[in-house]
Amino acid sequence: MSGVTGTACAVRLRGITKRFDRLLALDAVDLDLRRGEVHALLGENGAGKTTLMNILAGLYRADSGSIELGGEQVSLRGPGEAIAHGVGMVHQHFKLVETMTVAENLHFGWDDTPVLTSRRQLADRADELSRQFGITVDPRARIWQLSVGEQQRVEILRTLARGAQVLILDEPTAVLTDAEADELFAILRNLVSEGRTVVFISHKLREVKAVSDRVTVLRGGRVVGSCDTADVSVRELGTMMTGAESVVVARSASSACGEVVAELVGVSATSNRGLPALRAIDVSVRGGEIVGVAGVSGNGQSELAEVITGLRRVEAGKVLIAGKDVTGRPPAQFSGAGVGHMPEDRIGMALVASASVRRNAVLRHYRGNALSSRLSLRRGAVRGFADDLVRQARVQVRNAAAPIAQLSGGNQQRLVAHREALVAEKLLVAVHPTRGLDVHAAAEVDQALLDRRNAGCGVLLISDDLEEILRLADRVVVMYDGQIRGEFAADAADRQRIGMLMGGQDEESA
Amino acid sequence: MSTSSAGWRLERRLDVSAARSVGTRTAGVVVAVLGALAVFQLTGRSAPDIAGESIKGTFGNWSNFQETLIILTPILICAVAVALGFRIRVWNIGVEGQFLMGGWAATGVGLKVGGPQWLQLLLMALAGMAAGALWVLVPALLKAYFDVNEVITTLLLTFVAQQMLVWFSTDIWKDRVAAVTNASERVNAKLPGFFGSTTLNWGFLVPVVLVIVMFVVFRSSRWGYEVEMTGGNPRAAEFAGIPVKRRIVGVMMLSGAVAGLGGMIQLTGAVHRLSVSFSNQYGFFGFIVAALAGASALALLLVGLFIAFLLRSGIAAQTRGLSVALMFAVCGMILLIVGVAEIATRYRLSRAAPEPMAPVPQEAKMSNTHFASAQEPA
Repeated sequence: MSGVTGTACAVRLRGITKRFDRLLALDAVDLDLRRGEVHALLGENGAGKTTLMNILAGLYRADSGSIELGGEQVSLRGPGEAIAHGVGMVHQHFKLVETMTVAENLHFGWDDTPVLTSRRQLADRADELSRQFGITVDPRARIWQLSVGEQQRVEILRTLARGAQVLILDEPTAVLTDAEADELFAILRNLVSEGRTVVFISHKLREVKAVSDRVTVLRGGRVVGSCDTADVSVRELGTMMTGAESVVVARSASSACGEVVAELVGVSATSNRGLPALRAIDVSVRGGEIVGVAGVSGNGQSELAEVITGLRRVEAGKVLIAGKDVTGRPPAQFSGAGVGHMPEDRIGMALVASASVRRNAVLRHYRGNALSSRLSLRRGAVRGFADDLVRQARVQVRNAAAPIAQLSGGNQQRLVAHREALVAEKLLVAVHPTRGLDVHAAAEVDQALLDRRNAGCGVLLISDDLEEILRLADRVVVMYDGQIRGEFAADAADRQRIGMLMGGQDEESA
Repeated sequence: MSTSSAGWRLERRLDVSAARSVGTRTAGVVVAVLGALAVFQLTGRSAPDIAGESIKGTFGNWSNFQETLIILTPILICAVAVALGFRIRVWNIGVEGQFLMGGWAATGVGLKVGGPQWLQLLLMALAGMAAGALWVLVPALLKAYFDVNEVITTLLLTFVAQQMLVWFSTDIWKDRVAAVTNASERVNAKLPGFFGSTTLNWGFLVPVVLVIVMFVVFRSSRWGYEVEMTGGNPRAAEFAGIPVKRRIVGVMMLSGAVAGLGGMIQLTGAVHRLSVSFSNQYGFFGFIVAALAGASALALLLVGLFIAFLLRSGIAAQTRGLSVALMFAVCGMILLIVGVAEIATRYRLSRAAPEPMAPVPQEAKMSNTHFASAQEPA
């Protein structure tokens, strides 16, 4: 990588530790950022990249550790103080006012904004900033009229205008097209050539390799390594990111695979933002196997889960459940056909927080003859069904008539897992099923998935936790950019290859 | 969220106990009433006298209590209508309008359709319910299919309903014979008196029955279950295959129908003519009752009785040269204080290690986050 690589240290972080409740998000992290470099922060979801940078940007406070900026130890009590010290961050979710113009967005909340001003003056000043930093924006356009890439440029310009010498970008390419990403890289090269420091948070190996001078890899809240990007191969980076320990499969592989219970044929779908999320994808799940979908989140996994459970409309292709074409049918027909679903957002989608544990327990089954007639619920039967489920799922609950919001996440998920297992005669779709759970709850939820598999049901396990997938799955597929990029039998799963594919890297050499 | 230098900060409670919630509401009522009494005392009137007279005038004897029940009836029916909407998290602020349209339709049938009295009453009830339901139909469809805020649409339609009433009672159906101003001709069909009473009629039992029916429906009907789940979390309802949009429209129309029935009861039980002053803001008082009572059926009856007591007291207080409007002000104060206190109970003040922006726990984000900033760990 070319570029002026200064040696002076702009930022020195030492022993940064941060806990969220019981979760140790950062464990004594050291990081040096030099002037005039693009420094990539590489790691899987939950590795601690964003948390670390939120601390540097003054959004979080470290529990312990020190921050040195330009050789001087500082204590940052808020984003305002960070920017005063020349550290600015562009977040994944932009903080722009959609109905206001670019010039107005650049100027609000800024001490340098003239007290009395006019639209024209603001636009002129915006033009001047745009020239000064070599970032093209249209000052008169309103934010909602801009593409995501253009909005990002406004965010960057706004941060630079406030005097950022250290610019942090959180997954900046996640929302960009390839062409937009290339434009962004050119801007970043230009900024560092003027002596600034850019921190580039990413999990995409190709980009890290392409844009950064140095790279620091985080895994599980710890620094795995830090080096000049030119000195490492993409393959090595992939290994550093995902870890290289050998896989220990602690259970017998699936003995007999049954019929295909669910199949997607050439399915395309768009995300909530209307962007292509699934690109002509083919997936099939057999009875008696767990198919693990590996991948960094945001590569179409959520949409995959929603399509195969009938919650998202399919743009093209076919969805077959137990051999029957159910494309475009309402979700109730999917569950009727035997598809259970543990969605990633359990409190937002699988449960009604304000309703009682019992009423949540019967959410999928209350229509059945056992629990209700056409008009009324059989209250005794509902109570019996719910209490059985609670017992079976080993939900710790003092009062089943109390709102389910009072239960811990683990107990909520136990209930959801067992409830959905009852629905899933053919297929159980589990999305991040153990995220945020304690060890015991996670083990029980895992066991629920295995039980389902052993009962001859197919399981589609979507997770960004590779450990979990390798532990449970009989077959692993890797998703990247709305496509299946690779497929492995559990015993032949190659961690390094999976890590590479998750980062969008097909060939070793690239 | 900002922290003061002392390190105090507001922390969200994950659960608000029922006792705390009842306590809050009761405290709000007591504070507002004491405030009103203090105003009386400070302006040179005897607060204890006024309080005593109010209680005597409302509950003191059977004839006074009948008057109270007469006022309670429309308020409570409107409260049931609002409470129905609350079940699916819809704020039908326009019950007043639906109430008026129910009265309007009932008057129309009463004036134009003959027949035996029981048949007339039946048709008037049906017409009132249909009118109330139709008056809320457009807001319901807009809400369900286009996510248009129902607070605004239902409220604005109330003003349209009020003008309809002015038009019909001062022009189209105006009584040009009797010496009444701004009122329609008299509607002869009327509800039978309660055991021969000339004041009270059987209509006052209608809201009581409605409250009981509502209680049963939400406890043990499939529809009630679906409505509750939809209100609690529409995404989960959709996930479970509940027809969310249809449930929203259904509940809103039912709410309108109940309010419309209230208009018919008011006409045939109390006022007998459509007039400009057909409703004494009963729809809005109903809203206050429902908002204070929360989800409890029993509370609906008790709070309804309390608001009726306040209104009656206001009427009694006129003999002392006080305006009825005072009682409106007291009701407003109660609602305001309870509203503020309600939000306050969801938080507690705690002294914590200074930390500029702490992540909000997942659970706290599930419902409305008033003061919480949504920072999430990576």
